[in-house]
Amino acid sequence: MSGILSPYLTLGAILFCIGLFGALTKRNAIIVLLSIELMLNGVNLNLVAFSKMGVAPSLTGQVFSLFTITVAAAEAAVGVALLIALYRNKPTSDVSEMDELKH
Amino acid sequence: MPSDISHYAWIVPLFPLAAFLILTALGRQGKKLGAAVSVATGGASFALACAVYLGRLKEHAADYAWNSWTWLKAGDFSLTMGYEVTNLGTLMLLVVTSISLLVLIYSCGYMQEDERFTVFLGYVSLFSFSMLSLVITVNLIQFYLFWELVGACSFLLIGFWYRRPEARAAAKKAFLMTRVGDMGLFFAILLLYWNMPNHALEFTDIQNVFSAHTLNLTGAPFSAGLTTVIALLIFLGAMGKSGQFPLHSWLSDVMEGPTPISALIHAATMAAAGVYLIARTYPIFLASDTALDVVSAVGAFTALFAALLAIGQNDLQRVLAYSTVSQLGCMVLAMGLGSWAAYSAGISHLFTHAFFKALLFLSAGCVIHAVHTQDIRRMGGLAGKLKTTAWTFGIGALALSGIPPFSGFWSNDAILAEAYRDRPLLFAVALLTAVLTAFCMTRLFFLVFLGDGRGQAGHDDVAGGAAGDTTGGAGNPGDPGDPGDPGDPGDRLEPLPRTMTVPLIVLAVPAAAAGFLFLPGSAMSGFGRWLTGGSVKHGAGWAVLLLSTAAGLAGLGLGYLVYGRGERAAVRASGADGGSAALSRYGRAAEAGFYVDAFYRRAIIIPVKGLGLLLEWFDRYIVDGLVRLAAHAMLWLARLGTRLQNGKVQTYGLITLLGLVVLMLAFAGRRFLHVG
Amino acid sequence: MLNNLIDNLKDPASYLYMLFAILAIGGGIVMLNSAKVVHMVASLAVTFISLAGLYLTLGAGFVAIVQVLISAGAVSILMIFGIKLTKHRHDGEDEREEAEKVGARSGHLHEILAAVGVLALFGVLYYAIRKASFPTAPAAEPVNTILATGKLLVSRYALPFEIMAVLLTAAFVGAIVIAKREEE
Repeated sequence: MSGILSPYLTLGAILFCIGLFGALTKRNAIIVLLSIELMLNGVNLNLVAFSKMGVAPSLTGQVFSLFTITVAAAEAAVGVALLIALYRNKPTSDVSEMDELKH
Repeated sequence: MPSDISHYAWIVPLFPLAAFLILTALGRQGKKLGAAVSVATGGASFALACAVYLGRLKEHAADYAWNSWTWLKAGDFSLTMGYEVTNLGTLMLLVVTSISLLVLIYSCGYMQEDERFTVFLGYVSLFSFSMLSLVITVNLIQFYLFWELVGACSFLLIGFWYRRPEARAAAKKAFLMTRVGDMGLFFAILLLYWNMPNHALEFTDIQNVFSAHTLNLTGAPFSAGLTTVIALLIFLGAMGKSGQFPLHSWLSDVMEGPTPISALIHAATMAAAGVYLIARTYPIFLASDTALDVVSAVGAFTALFAALLAIGQNDLQRVLAYSTVSQLGCMVLAMGLGSWAAYSAGISHLFTHAFFKALLFLSAGCVIHAVHTQDIRRMGGLAGKLKTTAWTFGIGALALSGIPPFSGFWSNDAILAEAYRDRPLLFAVALLTAVLTAFCMTRLFFLVFLGDGRGQAGHDDVAGGAAGDTTGGAGNPGDPGDPGDPGDPGDRLEPLPRTMTVPLIVLAVPAAAAGFLFLPGSAMSGFGRWLTGGSVKHGAGWAVLLLSTAAGLAGLGLGYLVYGRGERAAVRASGADGGSAALSRYGRAAEAGFYVDAFYRRAIIIPVKGLGLLLEWFDRYIVDGLVRLAAHAMLWLARLGTRLQNGKVQTYGLITLLGLVVLMLAFAGRRFLHVG
Repeated sequence: MLNNLIDNLKDPASYLYMLFAILAIGGGIVMLNSAKVVHMVASLAVTFISLAGLYLTLGAGFVAIVQVLISAGAVSILMIFGIKLTKHRHDGEDEREEAEKVGARSGHLHEILAAVGVLALFGVLYYAIRKASFPTAPAAEPVNTILATGKLLVSRYALPFEIMAVLLTAAFVGAIVIAKREEE
């Protein structure tokens, strides 16, 4: 299937949706961050696939996916740091217990 | 110029209105000032009324009407207000102003200690204003306005001592019963409005339309059936205010209010307003024989019924109340006979009745004020102590019983004469009523004033009230006609203030002598002519004269036989009669008003209350329930909304996702909708 | 796509795709259904590695290597560090117990709605993918992607490259600052 685009796009969509579900439903903050990583990876797959088989194939897609991976890593790091700081305050890593920013 | 005085008749009600406003502004202070203001205005209106009357005494004084003040306009229809001065109205003005003035003077003695004295005077003045305005109204709507105002004032006055539940109940009952009658009047007004040419409701227009109607039946806007209906509805209104059966029981409860207003309401004014209404709209009644039959039948029945009730009562004021109802029945009977002669007979009886009934009530008030009880079984032998009261009461009683030469005899005889001529059956009823009335009055007189005292010396209710309480009214030393009271240790009756006894004497004069206006012969027919503006023939049959005298004397004699002599009388009087059970059962039935009120309670009040409870349930649970449901639904919706703001990121993320999906579906779906 | 499934099955190159696709999706689903958090991280690492394999089949060697290094390597390790540093009293079985502890009703509603939303989103995306018409790709000659990527990074995409550097610096400085224990 290397010549056809749609399988890769579909796979990307599936991964994205799985990640979205995990991000919205899981209670452990780490798992939420992980699900967000999964979403970003799904997007990456789209980028790389388009770079090979898109309208104007070039390396731009791959370069861009490098950037995406970088951003994902940075975000994961900061997210874990935040979680550790929160954990120090209230010894829980349950996302549904972090609800004080409301009216 | 005398006849121009009629132009100023509209000022007559304004004096008591001014008094009402001033008294309301005074509040509860200023008793002396308030009394002075009310008596002064009463006197002023009386003087003006006399002037108007004198100005109209000459023959064929024209009726004067001024009807130019536009009150409301609705499209083409405009309602004007004004005043109309007829001879009948002038007579009523005289009666109302004189009796109001005397009642005001009397109240200064009777109600002196009451803390709401000025309020009372204010109400009485308002009442005078309404009644006087009622008498000079020019069209039916204005009449209805003041009719209702009179009803409202009577409510205020009957319930004057509102802290007592009986007073509140009596006021409510009076108002509700007259309201039932007023509905009839209102519907009659509606019917007239719809059918009269030009929607005119002026009395003169009504007169024109209906008089022509009696002469010329074709082309009239009112069919015979419609005329009867209108007449009967008007009579319903009169029944309410004048206490005809079955709307009569409120009159006996007027006694829950102060005695002066019993005099005012019963005697002079409100009760007579019903008869006045019939008189004003008489052409409608003349045009319908059915209505006349109904009116006279109801009047006769009421007269007899109330007389039977009166002889069984033991409360002084209730006896007088029922006798009022009976006399009103006679008046209504007269009006129902359907001729102008009978009309003037009825009006003359209204005139004389006003005076002697007011006299009776006021002297009853004196008695009650002195002995502090209303039960006649506890009275007796008061003639020696309350001399003035006794002989004025005697005059009133004789007048009511129809004994010549007192005034009541002449007017009663006039009614009987007309009845004898037109409807013999009703004549018999009226004659029987006369006998019973005389009997009743004699019983009353003997039980209250003659015989041995049954309730005074050493009795708690008298001693407790009278001890140390020598209020002499406005600084008067007490009635000079009762020399026996303060010094005697056995009798501790209060002396009566002069403000209470002078009106009695003043009233005794017309009660005794007013009959001479109606002497058969030139003067009486003169009255009739003056009243109705047409030629009125009075048959002064000697047979009727003798019969009516005989009836009165028969009643008197019966009363004397039963109550006047010796120990038997005393035993009977004290009510501890070991005699026939039938009599005591009769007495109990009479005290319960022959169970008319009980019937009303069961048949009307309880179902209506039940309906009211049902509707209240409906209102509370269904109507209110819907409102509360709406409120709760909103609250529920709001709480639902707050659950979205729970501070959790995942919830916000979910909402965002759902919103995005909806948006995308909307955009994608447009393609389908356009295609499809 | 499904119509050509049978034809595609005959093509050996598609076996790789299917393998990697199943691994990736499997990893995701196992992650969703695991009980222990560490298992979740492990399954996700499998997903990342299979994605790297997919990049390789797409001729993106450098990206594949970077993916393995960073996602499967650094990020997963980071997550495990995070888990161990924020341990509950109940070790491991957090998800199920938490869901039972707190009112399950609102949790279930939340999950159901999330599932509905996600499925709807996938439906829309799939519809878009089906409807889109993609040009048949010209066969790209294999290039030395590492060299080419490096060239692009310093010439055309130099600015984003530098910005990435700044971002990374800011990120780790910020992470240290946030996670630092306050010593007063």
